[in-house]
Order: sequence, then C-alpha cells, then structure tokens
Amino acid sequence: MRKSRALASVMVLAVSAAALAACGGGNGNNNAGGASSPAASGASSPAASGTSGAKPAKDPVTLTFVISNTEDTTAFTKIFDAYQQKTGNKVELQALPGGDYDNLIKTRFSTQDFPDLFLMQPGTKQYVKLRADETLHEWSNEAGVWDNVIDSIKQAQVQDDKIYGVPYGSTGMMGVFYNKDVFAKAGVNPPKNYADLVEIAKKIKTAGVTPFYEGVKDAWPPQIFYFTGWVTQVDPAIGDEGVAKLNSNELKLADIAELKDLFAKQKELKALGLYQDNVMSGTYDELQNEFGEGKVGMTFMLDGVIAQLEKKFGKDFVAKSVGFFPFPSATDTGTAMITPPNQLMVPDKAKHAAEAIELVKFMLQPENVDLFYANKPGIPIFKGATSELYPVQEDVKKYIDEGKSKVNIQNRLTPSFVDFSKTLQNFFLDGNIDKAIKEFSDNYQKDGKAKVLPGF
Amino acid sequence: MERRKYPLYFSFPALSVFLLFFIAPTLIGVYYSFTDWNVNADSISFIGFDNYKALFGEPRLGKALSNTLIFAAAVTLLQNAVGLGLALLMNEAIRMRNLFRTIFFMPYVIAPIVIGYVFRAIYHPEHGIVNEALGWIGLGSLGQDWLNDPKWALFSIIATDIWRVAGFAMVVYLAGLQFIPKDLTESASIDGASYWRRFRHIVFPLLAASFTVNVLLSVIGSMKVFEMVMVLTDGGPGYTTEVFYTYIRSTFSMGQMGYSTAINLVLFVLVTVVGVPVLMALKKREVEM
Repeated sequence: MRKSRALASVMVLAVSAAALAACGGGNGNNNAGGASSPAASGASSPAASGTSGAKPAKDPVTLTFVISNTEDTTAFTKIFDAYQQKTGNKVELQALPGGDYDNLIKTRFSTQDFPDLFLMQPGTKQYVKLRADETLHEWSNEAGVWDNVIDSIKQAQVQDDKIYGVPYGSTGMMGVFYNKDVFAKAGVNPPKNYADLVEIAKKIKTAGVTPFYEGVKDAWPPQIFYFTGWVTQVDPAIGDEGVAKLNSNELKLADIAELKDLFAKQKELKALGLYQDNVMSGTYDELQNEFGEGKVGMTFMLDGVIAQLEKKFGKDFVAKSVGFFPFPSATDTGTAMITPPNQLMVPDKAKHAAEAIELVKFMLQPENVDLFYANKPGIPIFKGATSELYPVQEDVKKYIDEGKSKVNIQNRLTPSFVDFSKTLQNFFLDGNIDKAIKEFSDNYQKDGKAKVLPGF
Repeated sequence: MERRKYPLYFSFPALSVFLLFFIAPTLIGVYYSFTDWNVNADSISFIGFDNYKALFGEPRLGKALSNTLIFAAAVTLLQNAVGLGLALLMNEAIRMRNLFRTIFFMPYVIAPIVIGYVFRAIYHPEHGIVNEALGWIGLGSLGQDWLNDPKWALFSIIATDIWRVAGFAMVVYLAGLQFIPKDLTESASIDGASYWRRFRHIVFPLLAASFTVNVLLSVIGSMKVFEMVMVLTDGGPGYTTEVFYTYIRSTFSMGQMGYSTAINLVLFVLVTVVGVPVLMALKKREVEM
C-alpha cells in the first residue's frame, strides 16, 4: 500500500514537472534562450546598427502589438503580413477592451508586463500617464522616423524637446457634420457665422426635420460641441499663452468668458427646441440612424462617424450626402478642429524592444504608409502619402491647407477634462451655466493634482 | 452521544487562506487609505487623515451615500416581500410548480451586466417594452424616460435588481417553509385559524432563520451594488444615480489609489455599521423549533 502511494506521488510529481516544463517552453519561437531580449539582440538588430530597413532575422521572434478593440485592425494586419514576409518576425495583435484601454495599459505597465509595441491616443498627456521618461523609448532623434511626418503633427508630440510616441494614421476632425439632402430640402447652405447656423437650424426645423442630434445618454458626444467650439471661439481669445497657463494652472477654465459662452450657446440651442425629442436618451447609434435616414440635419461630431455611416448607409451615401463645416465664429466660418492620429509607443523594457523599433520604422516606409491608407483611408499625416478621401474629408483638408485648422485642445493640455460628460448630462438637465463651468473647472484642477503636475 | 473532536490544526489551511486573501489585504488596505498612493507620484507617503478629510468635503460622496442607502433599503425590503410572497405561492400545490420556481429563480443566475443591457432596451423611452405596454393599455401618458430622468432612474435600477434577486430570496424562504411541520399549520387550520393568522403566528416566526439570512445578504449585497448601476446608467444622468462603487471606480481610474482605498474603507465601515445591528436584531427573534 505504502509502495503504491509512493509510486503514485512520484508519478504526480513527474507529470506536474512535465506540465510546468511545457508551460515554460511555450512560445518557443519568441525567444530562444533569451537571445532576442533587447540587450541580447541589440547587437544584431538593424535598429541598433542604425539602418532603417527591416532585414530577415536570424531567429524570428513574435512581437506583441496591443491595440484597443475599437480600432479597425485591417490596415495594421496588412503591414504586419508584409513585415513577416520581409523579416520572418511575426506580430501578434492583442485587442484590449476600448472602454478600459488606458487602465489596462497602465496596469500592464505597473506589473512590468510590457507589450513590445502599442497604440495609444495622441498627445503628450499620455507621457504623464505612462511615466514616459522612465518607461518608453524616446524617438525625437531616431533616424528614419521623422523624415516624412508633417511638422505640425510632429510638434504636437513634443514635450520638453522629447517625443515618446510616433504618430501613425490619419488626421481626425471634429465639427459639424450635416446631411446635404436635408439642407437641400430646407433650402439652406453651410453657415457663414454662428448666428447664421442658428437661423439654418430653425429653417430645418420648419422643414420638419430635427436640426441637431445629441447623444446625451452615451455621455461623450455632447463634449464635441465644446472641443470644436474651443478652436473657433476660445483659442483666438486666450492664444497659445493662455493654453500654456492652463497647463500650469495659472488660468482657470471657469475664468474664460468665451468658454462660458459656449455653455450659453448650447443652452440656447436646447431652449430653442433645436435638439431631438428625448435628448437625454440620445445615443451615438441612434444618431447615425437618424442622420442617415434624413431625420436629422446636423450633429456636432468626430470623424469616426464617417466609417459608421459608411457601414450603415454605404460609401455612396457618405460621398454624396455627408458634408462638414467647422464650428462657426461670430464673424466667419470658424476654424477646423483636427486631431493627430494615435501614437505608436515602445516600452524600453519590452522583450523585443529593438525589433519593435525596427517595426515602427518599417511601418513608416512610404510603401507601407500607402498600404495603410489603402486599407484605412483618411487625411494623411505623411508628406507624399496618398489616400482616397471623401468630399467631407476634402472639406477639412482645405481648411488645413489654408492654415485655418487647430489641434484639439485636449491634445494640447496635460491635465484632462475629467467627468466632463457627466457635467454636461447635468447641464442638459438643469441648464445651470455657473454650476456646470465651476464643476468643469474644478475637475480639471483635481486631475492636475491627481497627476502631480507642477502648479496644481 | 459523545461529540467527536478534531485537532485544531485541521483548520489551519482554511485559516491561512482566509488570512492571506482576506485579512491581510484588508489590513494593507487600511494602511494605504492613510497614504497619498497615486500612480502618477514617484513615492508613497503617509498623510494621516487627509484622504478622509478630502472625501468628506466631496459633494459626490453625499450623493453616493444617499443613493446607496436608498437602494439598499428598497431592495432589501422589496426583495424579501416579493421573495416571501413567491415562496408562499410556490409552496402551495399548484400545477407546474417546479417550472414556475425555475422561472422565478432564473434571473438570479444571469449575470447582472447581461440583465442591465436587456433592461436598457426595455426602458427605452420610445422603443422600450415598458412604454409600449403602457401605450397598449391606454396609459401612454404615464410613459417615462425611465433611465435618463433623474426622478425615475434610481427606481428603475431598483426595480430591475428586485426582478433579478427576488427568486433567490424565494428559494431561501422555500427551504425554510419545508422545515415547518405541517401538523402545526394543519391543527391551526382545524382550530379555525385563517390563512393570515396561520402565517402571522406560525409560519412567519418559524421562518426567522431564513429571514435573517435573506435580509443580511440583501443588505450587504445591495450596499455593494455596482454592475447594475454601471450598465443601466453609469451613475447618471450626471451623478444622479451615483453609488459608492461607481464613485470608487472613477477615482481608481484617475490613479488615486490611496483615496480610492479610503472610500472603500468608508463603505466597509458603513456595511458593518448597518449589517451588524441588523444581524443582532434578527438573531434575537429567531426561535428554536
């Protein structure tokens, strides 16, 4: 009996050991004996040797590329296929839930579980979030990265002369998207100024169509009104100096009269009955449906809606029936609000950091940039790149080319507009401008304090 | 009969797991609630009661506190009332009794998040079943924007949660009802006691143990409500349905770990302050059969 127990114990131990060994030996193509760790592989890696083209790797590795599951990955997959053909290295896509993407990345950083490469929202505020100077590869002097990037997009990434993320993708935009068929039905044209916008909205209402739609239930959509209104109305008033003061807490959001006026403007639109019925239950999905069906004339929205409208109503609808204009100012058509694309980031301590840097350079090669835009068209941020654009995007490009565009304020500030959507939900309910702007301002300062930023 | 005694060290494995995964994290949490632990800061320092001072000056806490208590009181009361009613009904000899028992219990095994998404559609002001049904029976004027009107949002969440958990209370009460000797109620019946009298003087007192279990689990569970609120309203519109856990979630996502832990500790104290007296009061009225 004792013998058989001992034998059973030995067998259990042997099976357990074999299982553990199998776990450890998994992913064998990733890293044979640790030879492809940044330090070990650095000597043979093209990045370390200063060359920009990817070469076939002696010991192919599998890189992990983390991305939000809200992103369409087709364009990336095409480039990664080309990368694998050229180098033998594979890229494994890990899509994390979009709603908690930031927190999941932060958690992975705090547990030292670094991906080799990941896509992050644009702007320097991500540097604070991820403790960039300690954790991320610095790109500002990296050869073969900045040759073709449009300068204004590059500058939006600079903080203290350093850049920790490489912008990749298309310029986004926020503003007023309008249904051209509805405008034709109501006999109106894009507005010349803000007062004109209100008059147009009234005419659309008279024509039996809802002038504006707001997705208050989904919380984030009403913020677009303020972001796009900012570049037209607030930026000219406070200038870059004012933005710098906001960054150092020398200027309070609540003290900006032009910002307060944006709250008054939104309240006026609601008071005039220019939003849809049941505005509190408005959702982004319903917005797309109502807009596509011609039941809504306009919406303050970001360019993500183009892809959604294309999915629901087809390319032809987007090409023929969707128009764009910026938030108009009191005197003119306003300034187009643009957003830099997401940024590619490489943690210094990633298992395959050297290969990830090389992959980024590979992605930036003109033929791969074109491959990206062929699969995900948008306004390019690379010189010489070509992309098929919808008329609605061409409209924005004209503003950019004429120098009448400005990067989104959120991408220029280090603290965030925390819980702004909640503030706006309350504002839609009670219409209290002073309360709303105070809460907005207080939350901004709380976030600055939470991020331990100087001046807060 | 002599009771068999087991060595004390038999409890060590369970005790060590409990210490490692429950007691130790709680004590560590208490310590961190007195620090400025923040994912954006280089170091962690002891700051005394600063987190608690900041917390009690925060208007959102008051809203979260009142909503949590309203939610807990309403769910505890109604879950038990509905659960007991269903249990009494399901204890009678009615046709397809087991099928009905299963149907009433089923919502409890569905994840609250799934229920939340289903009820978002049910409560939709224009296309939702609730308003549609009111319209069909000629009460369309009573239709509301159930989740986006601050007057109704919290009560809509409460109603949804009661629908979810009443079946669980029913099962516990049913178990209690099985233990009540039939001869007690039958002899009372022969003596001419009405159904209400039998319930009041025999059934309900003998259900005290089930009542204790149900009420205590309801109080604790409902004070920790999170998923249902998050999916149905995410604490909105604005902060009108904010509860403790939605507030804690938002502070954690800002990286304020020390502050968030302090809110957790406040909730822990609150659950204890409410739960312990409830338990003691209910234990007192339990009777031995």
